[in-house]
Amino acid sequence: MSELAHDASSAGAEEVAVADHHDEHESTGIDNRKLGMWVFLSSEFLFFGALITNYLLYSNRPGFAGIYPAEIYDIPFTSVSSFVLLMSSLTMVLAHNALSRGDQNGSRTWLFATAALGAVFLGGQVFEFTEFIVEYGMTLSTNPAASAFYVLTGFHGTHVAIGVIMLLSLWGISRRQGGLSEKHGMNLELVGLYWHFVDIIWIVIFTVVYLLSVPIQ
Amino acid sequence: MSTESHDHHPTPAQYWKIAAFLAVLTAIEVSLFYIDHALELGVFNSVALISLSAIKFVVVVGWFMHVRFERPLISRFFTAGFILACALYLVVLSALGVVAIRG
Amino acid sequence: MTATAARPNTTIFRRPKSTTGIWGWITTVDHKKIGIMYGYAAFTFFIIGGVEALLLRIQLASANSEFLTAGAYNALFTMHGTTMIFLFVMPVSAAFMNYMLPLMIGARDVAFPRLNALSWWIFFFGGIFLYSTFIFGTSVPPVAPDGVNFGNLAAGGGPGSFNFLASSPDGGWFGYQPNAGPLYSPGTAMDYWALGLQILGLASLVSSVNFIVTVFNMRAKGMRLLRMPVFAWMSTVVAFLLLFSLPIIAVALFMVTFDRQFGTLFFAPTGGGDPILWQHLFWLFGHPEVYILILPAMGIVSEILPVFSRKPLFGYSAVVFAGAAIAFLGFGVWAHHMFASGITPVAQAAFGLATMTIAIPTGIKIFNWMGTMWGGRLRFSTPMLFAVGFLAMFTIGGLSGVTHSVVPSDWQQTDTYYIVAHFHYVLFGGAVFGIFGGLYYWFPKLTGRVMNERLGKTHFWLQFIGFNLTFAPMHWLGLQGMVRRTWKYAPEAGLQTWNVAVTVGAFVIALSILIFMINWWRSRRYGEPSGLDPWDARTVEWTIPNPTPEYNFATPPVVTSLDHFWHLKYTEDENGRAVRRPEAEELVAYLEDDGLNPKSPIHLPAPSYFPFFMALGIPLIFYGIIYHTTAWGKALIAIGVVISLSSVIGWGIEPLEELDDHDEDHAGFEDDMDLDEELELVEVDDE
Repeated sequence: MSELAHDASSAGAEEVAVADHHDEHESTGIDNRKLGMWVFLSSEFLFFGALITNYLLYSNRPGFAGIYPAEIYDIPFTSVSSFVLLMSSLTMVLAHNALSRGDQNGSRTWLFATAALGAVFLGGQVFEFTEFIVEYGMTLSTNPAASAFYVLTGFHGTHVAIGVIMLLSLWGISRRQGGLSEKHGMNLELVGLYWHFVDIIWIVIFTVVYLLSVPIQ
Repeated sequence: MSTESHDHHPTPAQYWKIAAFLAVLTAIEVSLFYIDHALELGVFNSVALISLSAIKFVVVVGWFMHVRFERPLISRFFTAGFILACALYLVVLSALGVVAIRG
Repeated sequence: MTATAARPNTTIFRRPKSTTGIWGWITTVDHKKIGIMYGYAAFTFFIIGGVEALLLRIQLASANSEFLTAGAYNALFTMHGTTMIFLFVMPVSAAFMNYMLPLMIGARDVAFPRLNALSWWIFFFGGIFLYSTFIFGTSVPPVAPDGVNFGNLAAGGGPGSFNFLASSPDGGWFGYQPNAGPLYSPGTAMDYWALGLQILGLASLVSSVNFIVTVFNMRAKGMRLLRMPVFAWMSTVVAFLLLFSLPIIAVALFMVTFDRQFGTLFFAPTGGGDPILWQHLFWLFGHPEVYILILPAMGIVSEILPVFSRKPLFGYSAVVFAGAAIAFLGFGVWAHHMFASGITPVAQAAFGLATMTIAIPTGIKIFNWMGTMWGGRLRFSTPMLFAVGFLAMFTIGGLSGVTHSVVPSDWQQTDTYYIVAHFHYVLFGGAVFGIFGGLYYWFPKLTGRVMNERLGKTHFWLQFIGFNLTFAPMHWLGLQGMVRRTWKYAPEAGLQTWNVAVTVGAFVIALSILIFMINWWRSRRYGEPSGLDPWDARTVEWTIPNPTPEYNFATPPVVTSLDHFWHLKYTEDENGRAVRRPEAEELVAYLEDDGLNPKSPIHLPAPSYFPFFMALGIPLIFYGIIYHTTAWGKALIAIGVVISLSSVIGWGIEPLEELDDHDEDHAGFEDDMDLDEELELVEVDDE
């Protein structure tokens, strides 16, 4: 096969290159990578849904040994870090918007701001975990409620951390190349979608896990 | 992709307004938490908090993630995942006795 | 590759050049080669899983047998189930999807060729990871603080002569908690199981995203969704099932791993955990999984039956929608696996009823398949035999499935051989018969030859007889009270006779598989040349030469109808009967010639090292997690992360094609439209 193909290719060397698979029309009119990201994100609902279910099952179950997470939430602190993550969605869209207007410098700045806000959120989570472990002695193995709390917020934090790494990579590429090419522009949009998704998951977690958790009497 | 419609995207100024709106909602949420502790609002508190976070969710998905301006296929996939997750896990929670279904 | 110029080095490594030899396979991003690798790997695991089954059957052939120890028996049935589901049926379906789906929708490749290679390599390393438990894993009996043995495993594996394989996962393929938790399954074997499934799930998740985007975005001109072959449809449905069910099992397996490795208490009743949560999460995944296993086979059968009945599929859209309905309903019935676990009467009634409704779309399919054959000019070639075998055996399995939806009856049957009989009728009698039918049917696409019919028919009849001899008596054994996963039964239990029959049947199946393998190897070289259209087929994948050229379609097809190829070859006479067009032979010859001689160079995605290396890092990380308390465990995690991350970076830098330089020059397909024009002319004649 490949010999035949090769002959054909050298015979028609000056002919126009057609039909590598990117040229094939995208039937839905949505870029492959973007559609792929949306499809992936829709499955993430099931992922976080399972973790939240797990938390809801155990968070108020009476009779566990040790301290319950709901007893020691620091609502003012978490409100601030939730606000930080929420605002990072703003800086993310501003980065995307700046790029679509051709403003490479502005885009780069907003990218960095988004990564920085994400890092602040992560720092807050590290602080929160440390406080819970050191001050209140609530570890992974204290009781299922504590396990569920750490695993849920920990997996969310992991998602944020991956997002920060992707944002910083884009920022680095933009700095090195003096801007983002069209291909990387799509990458920016994809990272943006991922980032907003992580944000909406936190919107749910903040309400369901923190604000609605009834402290054990 | 040239096929995408970038025509109706919000301007930066509008993005700032949307973010301010989200910030206000968050502030209301946090205050509700304290008001509830003082006044024991009960069910109203839960309903209000869930509604507020639902509004925030929809705003971020609709505007920041541009779903409002995309082809409907995207929101169909996304909604399918969301509704499926909610439905399945609600049934699990009710089967495990966390969410009570009267009947 | 038809690359004409070397691209300047923009990557860390030089771009892999060879498309042959071992590196050609390692770096390939060609969906066909990936499909072939999936197929061979899956078949290897099928043999391994089959040998495990034979060992189990030797043990059960006589009462009070001392062939296996209890520990080895537990390990073997666990690995048999895990292997057949995750390492055989799923990847062999992935093989069909990889190879056939792009061809069926008229595409040159999948939407993300490198991601496709990545999911294959993740699967490959995941399989090796899971099986490395036989070398590295430990499965020790749990011991209470006072030194008394407890749990599911007898001390020393119990009496028996064969204990060699006992150090492998032994918690059953569904790993029920807390039996598979840290207390009752100490040792590392169940960690290999949980993390191995995690890796395999990741592979399937990646490919599900890939296939969904492929189907929605890569279809040829005119290939509307409702013109796609049913197999393409079923692949799409399966991709959605995978997409939405795998995250659930991922969480559940993470929870098990955390319980076992990091001291969380999710499923430990002693710490307040709830084992029933595991059952919910597992079956939330596990029931859609059942349809993940069967729907591809249903798709294959829906391709074979019309071709060999020389009739269109009866009720095409009903079959498609029934497939989607099965998938949708399949998400809502998981708790019928848990009727005996103490869920509330309301839940039992609801899930029982929901389970019964699944019989409706399944019945629609079965009647449509029969309607397809009704009045057709049937040819009982080997693929058709397997398709009809599927139909009959799956119907029996489906009917015994309906009996499980009746809760009181299910209580009686739970954990007996009746259940084993049921799911082997749907998974072996269903999925595996369909898969073999597909292998015979599409063999020419791989090799340009057809498989030997005589050996094929021998294979079918032996497998059919062996299958029924193996699994039909299990219904009776189950109803007599033989419990599932039992290692021994007493002579006075009266179970010996049928157990002997079952074991004989199992060996007959093994013989039939041996014949298949001989046939496969011989036919690859000596089989009769197939030409372009050996079966007088109906769908687009048969409009290109066999074996499939590397670029698939020299000229991208323009699809004008469902059963596109058939309509090119056939028309209707005034009585509505199909008549072959006089120009059909000419058209086939033209397609053969055109398919082998592309009129302009075709640029395919270039091979890449990165999917392989990115996948290679993942099992290292997971090995590290199992041994994370040791220094070298931490080192393994670090090495794995470095390998995977640097591959991600290389991947990100590397362009997909070697030649992007002509991006502006794409003139579309106008120059190559002669075939399409011809097809349109044919179509006009038809009107």
